[in-house]
Amino acid sequence: MSLFDKFHKLAEARSGLGQDGPAPIATPIERVDSATRGWIGGREVILAGTNNYLGLTFHPDVIAAGTRALTELGSGTTGSRMANGSYGAHQALEAELAAAFGWPSAIVFSTGYQANLGALSTLVGQGEYLLLDSDSHASIYDGARLSNAQTIRFRHNDPENLDRRLSRLGDDAGRALVVVEGLYSMLGDQPPLAEFVEVKNNHKAWLMVDEAHSFGVFGERGLGLAEQAGLLDQVDFIVGTFSKSLAGIGGFCVSPHTDLELLRLASRPYIFTASPSPTVIASTRKALELLVNGQELRLSLQRNINRLYEEVKAMGYELGSPDPGPVMAIILPDRATALAHWKGLLNAGIYANLMIPPATPAGLNLLRISLSAAHTDADIDQIVNALRKLRDGL
Amino acid sequence: MTNELRQEIDQAISRALATALPEMKDIDRDAALTGDIGLDSVQIMNLVMEIEDDLDVSVPVDILSEVQTLNQLAERLESLVGESRS
Repeated sequence: MSLFDKFHKLAEARSGLGQDGPAPIATPIERVDSATRGWIGGREVILAGTNNYLGLTFHPDVIAAGTRALTELGSGTTGSRMANGSYGAHQALEAELAAAFGWPSAIVFSTGYQANLGALSTLVGQGEYLLLDSDSHASIYDGARLSNAQTIRFRHNDPENLDRRLSRLGDDAGRALVVVEGLYSMLGDQPPLAEFVEVKNNHKAWLMVDEAHSFGVFGERGLGLAEQAGLLDQVDFIVGTFSKSLAGIGGFCVSPHTDLELLRLASRPYIFTASPSPTVIASTRKALELLVNGQELRLSLQRNINRLYEEVKAMGYELGSPDPGPVMAIILPDRATALAHWKGLLNAGIYANLMIPPATPAGLNLLRISLSAAHTDADIDQIVNALRKLRDGL
Repeated sequence: MTNELRQEIDQAISRALATALPEMKDIDRDAALTGDIGLDSVQIMNLVMEIEDDLDVSVPVDILSEVQTLNQLAERLESLVGESRS
């Protein structure tokens, strides 16, 4: 009997993915040269399995801002926001995030995971309710567990199903927080946000949108799906991450409710952790400026998205989303086929993501390709040609 | 009444199994869903969602970590459905 016995099934599943070549799970990336180029298994590959949607990780202004902060403010804050870790730059970033949305309050967290953990675990508690889309990210489920609120799942992207569940709560729905994501990272699909807004308004519930994957991608100013849908004035909270379009690490929660500030006094994932380093805050502030003014970047990204989506759809692949988006999930019939596709792409010089149960919804085996504004036409050509060859071999 | 409710719940579980896990429709209802049967958390949550819609009841997520077998789930459902109809 060992404490590690319970992990044997997971270890077997990992072994089942084969030992030859680079590992498809937690793939070691030996070197990264740019937003779209890295080295895996001793050779250069196109990075098409990252979340670098705007391609800002190597932007000279972002790097210069981070470098300057490293030199001027040091390598770390060595403390939490509640103690010695609240620098002027942290507060400036919060002010800039709030200003981007035109709202009074924003809180920065040390990671995107902690943004959900910190916001959800504190916004709702005993005697209150969380209603989560069944495909919610693990950080949302974990925030729910930490909250002590009664947590109820509704069917993925199904406002009618949410309506039924809120109806069962009766007047208690006024103490319920509904959480949806702007873009679901496994299938790359988007919620019918206007319909969700209508349902939550009918029940006087609260609404949070997690724009982790949609921030920087959707909307004229890149604020996410709520902006694109013209529904910012209907949302109570938006959470997001710095580790995708903003090319750093960290997370945030913004709100039109001034009282969001009170979370700082009670949110354990905010209080009991070190604050982001000055380097991260400085590079994120620069990236945020580029994101809000990044209409051309979004045009480039959208062009890449539309091209790949149409080409792959025409090949007859089943896709996870009816709408083109920065995450394209190809649904493959079984694990072996998905693994063969992942390896086939890597052999063709393209790194994508292999996604398998239990990380995926409905037991699906997925090959996930994520696009960037920094991908060139030639990159897209290479991805399309590789997929076509794999398709012909099916 | 109690027996009728339990029967209704057992039938809902059967229908949910047929929809969400058709290959396991004859599952032992005293078997541990993860340990003995090998279901993952997503499969269990999807099964419960079918039952929720069938019985028109919401099952809080934390209950799922407390029940190990379908018969234990049925017992929890008895009180949840009973409360919602009282």
